Order: sequence, then structure tokens, then C-alpha cells
Amino acid sequence: MTLTLVHLLPELLGTYGDRGNVEIASWRLRERGIKHDVLTVGIGDSIPTTADLYFLGGGEDDAQIKACQIVGTSLAKAVNNGAHVFAVCAGFQLLGTTFPASGGRTVEGLGIVPIETVSAKTRSVGEILSKPSIPIATLTGFENHAGQTRFLDELQPLGVVTNGIGNGLDTNIDGLVTEQIVGTYMHGPALARNPELADWILSRVIGDLVPLRAEVFNELHNERVNSVK
Amino acid sequence: MPLRLAIRIAHSFGVLSRLLRQGSGVMVGGRILLKLVPDAVHKLSKNRKVVLISGTNGKSTTTALIAQALSTKSLVASNSTGANLFAGLAFALSQNTSAPVAVLEVDEMVVPWAIAQTNPHLVVLLNLGRDQLDRLSEVRVVAQKWREVLRNLPASCAVLADADDPFVAWASMASVNVIWFTSGVHGHMDASTCPECGDILNWQNEGASYSCNCGFKKPNPEWILRGNTLLGPRNREIKITSAIPGKAALSNAARAVVASQYFGVDGDAAAKTISLITSVDGRFGALQIGQTKFRLMLSKNPASWRETLATSAEGPLNVLLFVNANTQDGKDTSWMWDVDFSPLQGRSVFVTGDRRLDLSARLTVSGINHRVVSNQLAASTTIGACDADLIASYTAFHRLAKGVKKS
Repeated sequence: MTLTLVHLLPELLGTYGDRGNVEIASWRLRERGIKHDVLTVGIGDSIPTTADLYFLGGGEDDAQIKACQIVGTSLAKAVNNGAHVFAVCAGFQLLGTTFPASGGRTVEGLGIVPIETVSAKTRSVGEILSKPSIPIATLTGFENHAGQTRFLDELQPLGVVTNGIGNGLDTNIDGLVTEQIVGTYMHGPALARNPELADWILSRVIGDLVPLRAEVFNELHNERVNSVK
Repeated sequence: MPLRLAIRIAHSFGVLSRLLRQGSGVMVGGRILLKLVPDAVHKLSKNRKVVLISGTNGKSTTTALIAQALSTKSLVASNSTGANLFAGLAFALSQNTSAPVAVLEVDEMVVPWAIAQTNPHLVVLLNLGRDQLDRLSEVRVVAQKWREVLRNLPASCAVLADADDPFVAWASMASVNVIWFTSGVHGHMDASTCPECGDILNWQNEGASYSCNCGFKKPNPEWILRGNTLLGPRNREIKITSAIPGKAALSNAARAVVASQYFGVDGDAAAKTISLITSVDGRFGALQIGQTKFRLMLSKNPASWRETLATSAEGPLNVLLFVNANTQDGKDTSWMWDVDFSPLQGRSVFVTGDRRLDLSARLTVSGINHRVVSNQLAASTTIGACDADLIASYTAFHRLAKGVKKS
């Protein structure tokens, strides 16, 4: 059976070049000769519940609320069916029980993981660096978010933040990792800067991968890590 | 302090700054002027007809075109160096105090202040799109700020607004005197939801129009740019041509013609004046580096990259992309993934700048062959005595544009 990657609602969740993560994942598979489909689910399209890996990106308030309504229970069903998820920024927030919106509103999220997001006094903007909780190289990204996220249960963060804010709320962690889900505040092309994260996520979906010679991604990773250190 | 004295002091500092090679003197002079006379812009706008131009892309060019067209009829004060914040406006107005007309490019976030200070005769609003999100506001926030100030505009001030852009349209609808313009731009990457109610915005006719269940919809334009013809009220037809390449340049030229007509300049005469302008502040200027003659282009956000790549695709085979991520460029390079670089396919592509590795990774994923080079000279060494395009982000562009002015 062909592997299927799903890009969920890029018109709503794609403010920060988030489509890049899907393109990079697809490219890394293609370079290895691994057959796969990329399904872009737009507004009005039905959302499959049996695909393998779902991507959610970042977005503004109204778009985030709309995306939440449209996704409904379909992503939870997909996860129950064994799907994996890579969710970034607003997409990460969506996975939780609640997230904040303009005018002090609190909006109910998809409830797939026990996290909640609240609005913070200051926006978190800038380079973020973290020591991953999984066996890969230092994580580097750029964050830009108004909300901060709290774990409501014992959960594994994606990384311990050494520069930047991440989940915030007086913690020093970014994102989360469960058996099927990876969430992070490293927005946009997180997988461009972190080729090992890209392969780690893909290998969870399809098993061991042969090494890929793609020096530019390693160079970019090292340059960004060193620019902050 | 009397305004005249303050201007003399400010200008002296401006000259000093230039002599010490600290910059053009505009920012220093403007800041000192505003320090000495905080309402200098208000005072200097009295008894003048002021036109303000703002939007994410095209404001420098449109400002230059309008200023040129209006200068055929009267003296014009304008911030031609692109200094479009508080100090830049103050300095521009102080430079030519006898000019009865002022044509001012205004940063999107400064629009409310500029309107309050200058009591403008016309406000030209071009477009709103994602741009340097690490330091500027989300598109909706800017549209909201515009809407609040436009709501209180007197009927004596007209707004020349782009009907194709839902954010510009929504903001401008709040004012009483709007001249709607369309150049047939399809779709908008930031407008999936309605600016009015937040529901899904329905795009029809392949993105040519939009409407929402709440009643918000694309306004009917009274000026329509179709191909090279500008169609206006009472069957008016004006031929629009532009020596500056690209679709965006043509619609900026058309808008400048509409604005000039509003100021009493004959449309055909304005169109002729505008058609002769070849370069604005280094844009599309020629730059000799080594043996290579580069055509310099500015790109600073996904919308402007899309436009520039389309224009460049009709240009020479060689193209150098120069990307930095300093404060004025935006420190976040995520936007690269929102740009479709496929128009570069088949060309000879060089990549440089502080963030060349980001761009190289981006192009690699899109399967676009390219060479990473340490700087523009290294690119020139390989390209040799050929024509080439050089597409640069903000800080790189402005550094290189100095070379254009000298040549």
C-alpha cells in the first residue's frame, strides 16, 4: 500500500511557510525512492481518516478557529486508526483541549492530546534552540506565537529549550512527543533546518531509512545552531 | 520653537550626517525636526494638497509615478528615498515648503498617524499581504487599524482603493468617498477567511471575485485596468504603458494615472509622463559588477517574489538571488516556502547572501539546479560578460542600489 501524507488546510494553517514541511518530507522519501502520495486537503474537501502522516501548520486566530471546526473529529479518528501527526505552532495548539482567540475568547480544541494553550502577555518571537528528548541532533527553529502551552498530564516534550521560549509558562520545554504525535513551536520550515527530525518522524511511520546524502540541510542545521550559540 | 528655525537646524544636522557619511541625513534631520516641533508634519501639511500612498508592495514606485505626473503641473514635495516613517515624512515636507502638493509614501502602520497629521486630499491603498511577520503585524491587524481611521475620514478626502484585495476593500469600505480600482488580480494567499466576520471567504470565478455569507463582497470598481487599457467612468479609456517591467508596475502606473486625474492632471498626459519612468530608487536599474551587467530587482515578501520571479522569467538566462535576514528583511526566512520558485526552472541560478543556505535548501527541494556563491563578485566571475538579473532582499537591495545611482 502506498504511503499517504496529508497536508491539512494549508489555506488556513500555512502562515509561516508551513507547506515546506510537507514538501521536505515528500522530497526525502522521493530521494530514497519510497513511493508515496501527498494529499492536500483544502477547505470543502473531505478529510481522510486512514492516511499515514498528517501535517498541520500555523495560522492566525480566525483561521485557526475555522480549521478546528473543519477538522472536527476526523483527525482524532485518523490517530485512532494509527496515523502520525506533525503539528506546528497554531496546529500544535489545535491538538489540545483549548486555545485562546482574539477578544479574550477561549476556544475548544480537537482534544487529541492533554494540553491547553493560554494567551501570554508578550509574543514569543525569535530563534529557538532546544536539546531534543529523542535521539537526534540539537533542534533549531524560529518561533512566533502569542499563546503558551501547558501539559495537563505527564507528557514528553520534544526538547528542552536553551534559547527562546517554546511552550513557555515558566517551563523550558518546547513541543511534545507521543507515540504518534510530534508538536512544536518551531514554525515554518522546521524540517528544513532539522533533517534528523524529519527522518526520525518518517522512520516512525515506515521503519528504518537508508541514509540520505543531502549536505545542504546539514550545513543549514549547523549554521543555524551556531548562529545562536 | 518657530518652525522655520527648527527646519534650518534639522537640515544642518542632515547635511552634517551626510558629510560624516552616516546616511542620507533624512532620518536624522526628520527626527530632530519632530523633536523640536512635534506637530511639524501637521504644520507643514497646512494649505497643501497631500496624497498618501500605502500598501505592502509597490508604494515606492507608485509614489514616484504620482509625484512625477503631478510635477508637470506644480511643485511637489515627496519622500523619494523611501523613508516612509514619521521622520521621513517630516523631512520630505520640510524640504520643499513652497510646493503646494505633497506626495508621500507611508509605512502601513504609520497610515493612521499620517492621516491625522496631514489631513490628506487623497489616500491610495494598494494591497495588504504577509510581510516580515517577526516584526510587523498580521495582515488582519493592519486592516483593522486602517478601517478605524478611514471610518472617520471626511468626504473631502477620497480613498483610491484596490477592490481585488479583500483587506484593502474591507478597510476602505468604512470611508464615505472611495474610488475603487481593479487590475484583475486573482486570489489572495492571506484571505481564506472573511475580514468582516471570520467565516470562510468564498472565492469565485477562479479568484476574480469574493463574497461572504455575512454580506461582505468585492466592491464594483469604477476604474478597471484590462491589458494595457484603463477603463474609467463615462467610457473613459486611457492607454497605459510602463517602461518599468512587470504586471505590478503596469497596475501601479494605472493607479498613478487615476490619482493624477483626481488632482486635475489630464489622464492621457499623466499616462505619457508615467510611461517614460524606467527606474525608481534603483529598482530595475543597471548595476555593473565585474564583467556582468546586472538588472537589480527588489523582493521582500512572498507576493513581491512571485511578481519579480514572473518578470525575471522573461529576462536573461542568468539570475542571482541575494537573501539576507537582517531586521529590515525580517529575521525569519520561513516565507521562502510560500514562494513558488518554479519560474527559475531551466535558468542558470546563483544564490548568495547571509541566508544562502536556507535558500539553497528551498531550491533543492523544488528541484531547481543552482550554485551557492560567497558573494555577487563570485557570481559575476562565473557569469562573465553577460546580462543577468539580480533579485535581492531589502538590505542587500539597498546596499547594491547605491551602485546603480552612481552608474
